[in-house]
Amino acid sequence: MTTFRNLVSSSSLNSVRDSGSKTIESMKKLKSDPSKPPRYSAAGLFVKGAKGDTWPRVWREVDLKKSYDVVIVGGGVHGLATAYYLATNHGITNVAVLDKAYLGSGGSGRNTAIVRSNYLTPEGVAFYDRSLTLYNTMSTDLNLNVMFSERGHMTLAHTDSALRTMRWRAEVNKLQNINSSVIDPQEVKKLAPSLDVSPNTRYPIQGALYHPPGGTIRHDAVVWGYARGADHRGVEMHQQTEVLDIMVEGGDGPDGKGRGGRVTGVRTNRGDISAPIVVNCTAGWATLISDMAGVKLPINTHPLQAAVTEPVKVFLPTVVVSGSLHVYVSQTDRGELVFGASVDPFATYSMKGSLEFTEELAGHVLELMPNIGRMRLLRQWAGLCDMTPDYSPVMGFTPVDGFLCDVGWGTYGFKAGPVSGEQMAEAIATQSVPKLIEPFKLSRFEDGNLVGEKGAAAVGH
Amino acid sequence: MTRLPLQPGEVIDRSAPLNFTWNGDQISAFTGDTIASAIMANGNRIFARSMKYHRPRGLLTADFWDPNSFVQVGDDPNVRSAHRLAEAGMEVTAQNVWPSLDYDVKAANGVVGKFLTAGFYYKTFMKPAKLWPAYEKVLAQFAPGGKVDLNTPHMYHDKRYAHPDVLVAGGGPAGMAAAIAAAEAGAQVMLVEHEHLLGGSLLWGTEADRAVAAELVAACEAADNIEILLNSTVTGRYEDNWCAIAQRSHPIAVERLIKARAKMLVVAPGLIERPYVFAGNDKPGVMLSGAVRRLINLYAVKPGQKAVVFTANAAGDRAAEDLTRAGIDVVRVVDARNGGNIVAAKGGAKSVESVELGDGSTVEADLLVTAIGWTAPTSLLNLAGDRPAYDPVAARFFSSQLPDNILVAGGLAGDGTTDQLIAHARDTGELAARRAVVIAQTLQRLTARAVNVDGDIAPMPADDRTTLRRDPHPELHRSTTHGLVDYSEDVSSKDLFSAAKEGYDSVELIKRFTTATMGPSQGKLETVNTVAVLAEARGETIAEVGTTVWRPPYAPITLGALGGRIFEPVRVSSIQPWHEANRATPILAGQWVRPEHYGDPAGEVRNVRENVGIIDVTPLGKLDLRGRDVPKLLSMLYTNKWMQLPIGSVRYGVMCAEDGVVMDDGVTAHIAEDHYMMTTTSSGAAGVWEWAENWLQTEHPDWEVHITPVTTGFTSINVAGPKSRELVARLTDIDLDPETFKYMQVRTGSVAGVDNCFMWRIGFTGELSYELHVPSGYGLHVWETLLDQGADLGIKAFGLEAQRIMRLEKGHFIVGQDTDGLTKMPSVGMNGLIKLDKDDFAGKAELAISLEQTNLPKVVAIQTTDPTIVPEEACQIVRAGTNEIIGRITSSRMSPTLGRSICLGQVLPEAADAGSNLTVVMTTGERITAKVMEHHAHFDPEGERLRV
Repeated sequence: MTTFRNLVSSSSLNSVRDSGSKTIESMKKLKSDPSKPPRYSAAGLFVKGAKGDTWPRVWREVDLKKSYDVVIVGGGVHGLATAYYLATNHGITNVAVLDKAYLGSGGSGRNTAIVRSNYLTPEGVAFYDRSLTLYNTMSTDLNLNVMFSERGHMTLAHTDSALRTMRWRAEVNKLQNINSSVIDPQEVKKLAPSLDVSPNTRYPIQGALYHPPGGTIRHDAVVWGYARGADHRGVEMHQQTEVLDIMVEGGDGPDGKGRGGRVTGVRTNRGDISAPIVVNCTAGWATLISDMAGVKLPINTHPLQAAVTEPVKVFLPTVVVSGSLHVYVSQTDRGELVFGASVDPFATYSMKGSLEFTEELAGHVLELMPNIGRMRLLRQWAGLCDMTPDYSPVMGFTPVDGFLCDVGWGTYGFKAGPVSGEQMAEAIATQSVPKLIEPFKLSRFEDGNLVGEKGAAAVGH
Repeated sequence: MTRLPLQPGEVIDRSAPLNFTWNGDQISAFTGDTIASAIMANGNRIFARSMKYHRPRGLLTADFWDPNSFVQVGDDPNVRSAHRLAEAGMEVTAQNVWPSLDYDVKAANGVVGKFLTAGFYYKTFMKPAKLWPAYEKVLAQFAPGGKVDLNTPHMYHDKRYAHPDVLVAGGGPAGMAAAIAAAEAGAQVMLVEHEHLLGGSLLWGTEADRAVAAELVAACEAADNIEILLNSTVTGRYEDNWCAIAQRSHPIAVERLIKARAKMLVVAPGLIERPYVFAGNDKPGVMLSGAVRRLINLYAVKPGQKAVVFTANAAGDRAAEDLTRAGIDVVRVVDARNGGNIVAAKGGAKSVESVELGDGSTVEADLLVTAIGWTAPTSLLNLAGDRPAYDPVAARFFSSQLPDNILVAGGLAGDGTTDQLIAHARDTGELAARRAVVIAQTLQRLTARAVNVDGDIAPMPADDRTTLRRDPHPELHRSTTHGLVDYSEDVSSKDLFSAAKEGYDSVELIKRFTTATMGPSQGKLETVNTVAVLAEARGETIAEVGTTVWRPPYAPITLGALGGRIFEPVRVSSIQPWHEANRATPILAGQWVRPEHYGDPAGEVRNVRENVGIIDVTPLGKLDLRGRDVPKLLSMLYTNKWMQLPIGSVRYGVMCAEDGVVMDDGVTAHIAEDHYMMTTTSSGAAGVWEWAENWLQTEHPDWEVHITPVTTGFTSINVAGPKSRELVARLTDIDLDPETFKYMQVRTGSVAGVDNCFMWRIGFTGELSYELHVPSGYGLHVWETLLDQGADLGIKAFGLEAQRIMRLEKGHFIVGQDTDGLTKMPSVGMNGLIKLDKDDFAGKAELAISLEQTNLPKVVAIQTTDPTIVPEEACQIVRAGTNEIIGRITSSRMSPTLGRSICLGQVLPEAADAGSNLTVVMTTGERITAKVMEHHAHFDPEGERLRV
């Protein structure tokens, strides 16, 4: 059986041959090091404030080495969580996370930061419940406040068929001990008084699926927390480091890439790096990175737009989602309303926002909350979503040995970040596929075992 | 009172006084005052408290972008008081204060400020975890902004479309000159000005400046082909100059969105004055030169008594002159061009009392005016793909690459005297007009069926304008002390330094960590200073650090204006008046409203089974298909075969998506040569049309097929029941002889005197039935005639609920209810309709695989052991004694025909065999037993009733 250790040591690269033991040495050193990075705390803030000190760098700035045991492409939540769990759960720390811009510059910094676990399929529930569990203790685990706000999550039903789907989700959730239930319009009104639950609207609210453990989180803080945690354990973060090519040998495609090949490293704008394991944790550019290794992914990239209003005093205490009106909305602790919608219906890499999006969004928001017409839209933006045919991700091994993927996350990658990182780290460390992500293997598109949350994924936030 | 005597350029009308209230106090104002100028004229200097430290704040820029003077006006939150004009009776209150503007308890935060560095909340409140919700509530108290009033009515703001040749953003001297020149060259011009008057900075300039402005304004107003929009902002520029304009000056609408497809866009917004970063720079009494010049010259308001002016440019010098002329004691002019500097504004929280200068001296003053340079508002250019470049000599950004359909004029383009800027702008307007002609011709050519332009299109006129010079300007961002960089967010330069040291040292990271530039002006005052401070912290240049990306909108726009009214009309059939008159209970089905029942659904079912009933099925999707290649299209869309369907016949088909999942089903009739009519599910009508067009337009443009959606073109009525033939025969000339007009056939003829009706023999209810599609204008007539003629046969109308019960009795599945987004076709028990020997059809590859799979769930009929229990739809089916889900109830009803509960459900193959015992979990948690039936149909499984 292949193990991480013999994969790394059987690599032709002398420099990485004994890196495993070096890593453990460096781990021990880190633990006993008195100059270990200080923990964040109120007391620390007080002392630093009184002395006028500043805190050390959240992650170090180090030179790019010539080789690593693992190179992770993409410095978002998925890539950083993978690196963090490699280091914490498996002691694998000779790891570089590369990002072509700054950490969290892609989907991790552009999503609407909603988390929940009230999915439709038992597999989906199990997966996202694990993610929610990790999010729940993340502030203390990472020693950085990610401001998880368990404010409840409400999916509105405007038709009897939508209500039936809500009931379906609630019944599945209940059997899995997920707090989720169908509530009537009066209960909806109590939870969110700004919603119009009268029958006089174009799409009257007939009820909702209410999921109290759902909520929002400070997405950037999750990125920084994982980066800081990984850094403390020896992982290197390299920003402004763009992967230009992936070196593969022995494959059946041109240049030795493709099926049957084996990864040897990556070419970046800052030089070549050798590595026996390269992990694609990108979104928006997942197909372009995989193409570099000769691995084709069944993915189309679509923009997803979002927008935020000027702040007002908090009046919307829960997350509200309406599939019929293609909108989800929550109010941040800063008082801004954050809006999202469904992906644009066309494939493009452009991240320009459109006027039509804001018009439709505002119209639909006012259908839900007719009294907020005087609020002003402050900013709109777009992110890229990699859509697979079954609305489920592609995770794990590929036909190229040593090249792994954690991609195709559609519109829900942020919610899945922690559990994906944990499972990918396990896959890398054990060189076998953990049960939780087994359904997401790339080969399902060849053997027809599609999975999916398609039934619930339309506006699934 | 601090109102000055008559000023030569004042815009207030002293003959028209008005009153409003400010935190309950009466304020006397003049027409033309802004809310802020009036409040200040009444001797108030403090407008707000800052977000984090709740420090008192006074006017800084005294214009739209002022970060310190947001107020609540009635139910309108976040009103820019230095821009909104005062109106009689307004109720204006301060935001973000408690209990009052003068005394705010949260100002205590200022005392502990050094512990509350930017991003402090990421480092604390982590333990104990269960207290975080309480912490969060406290943090949320600090949310800035006004209050939403949940009694504000839902306003509809209709939108306007415009197609100007030249759209000019900015009505200052450059914008006006460009508009005039473009108009003289024959262009239709739309001139959009952010403020309430045209003129820009000339308005608060010298007498000569105002004379120039007056001349330009007169020329703009005189030109027939210039439309002037005041108090309006070009908020966005999207693809191909699709521009959004927020018009705040509409006589009726609070705010209106104008969507303009401009052939040319001229961007001339002027420059935005930038604050200086130094200790105490947010004390009331610290103002930018533009603020004091506006207050004095436009509103005749005295901004202070004793002033220090820190100047690096002509605007600062002019401010000093204006102050002196207005009788303010200018105690010191500190000139940055000669090495002068200011270090700190000192005094209490509520006002500047003295100013510490760079030379170490301290001067007493209650007003500190800075004029240290400009930010170029390049947003609209960025939205067109431009990446403006920083010029350290001129100390501001300039555009680097623009598409042909955008030109820049005024301060955004360069420096010069007023005459030079106007001359350049005139050239710009003239060039814009010439380019607009070429663009119009090009667009016309692109529209294939438009009247063609004769001859060749002229080449795009080259930019032959004389370039404006760039005057050197000192690069001034921060003094030797730390002060605020972002007033709205309470972020100081010290915060930025420490964030950079912590590793948040790229412009995007520092923005996200400290929230600098994230406030209401979106960086127009703050971005360049943020970048400069970061550059300083990193030891780099501004150009090396770069800027954040400007995103739309340029100025915030209300949701009401953006939303307008939503164009999603309620759809009803032509029979709706009868349904309403006969007290039908309505049900919303997608966009349609249709009758759920007429009071007694069970009775409606019994009547159809015993006599005859009619139902309005108009929402059924109907596509008229014509052309030689229709059978090819049908073969591609459906899984079964269509090449040999005889004229006069109807066939059922199932459509699958590429992943083999059931997408829609319905019957299609071959009506005449090269003429078919397809019916779809009601909810799938739009989607199937799109799907079919997608195949035609992207995969098979060579096929001759024309699709016309005719769902509302026909009113559809299903006549069902054993007596339906007898009834229909009384109304039609179509031969109904069952030997010649059989089940699954179609005829065309007249019904109730209406010609060109289609009649199909099909039956979703399981009874003998005829489905009539009559031209919709006659729908009500045919319906009433049927009722009239069928009175002796016991005819009754029946609704959707009765139909749903009857189809469930018959075991027909409904796509989207008994199937879901994962249900592949083999699950529905119609494998005979999957014809893998066809060349190709949507979903073929995936279905070939799924036919081999043994783990797909099955749609089965289910009956509960206790016939009186009807499990709710969506109840789960579990493996006995466990919580392991093996299926669910998808449809359930009490059957009036059988007198017992009946269901359809999906179960895994292990439990799908006839006779399998099932455990159903009710929504209450109670578990009941049920069993799988042999046939999908609970009633008349052989279908004898509908073939008679």
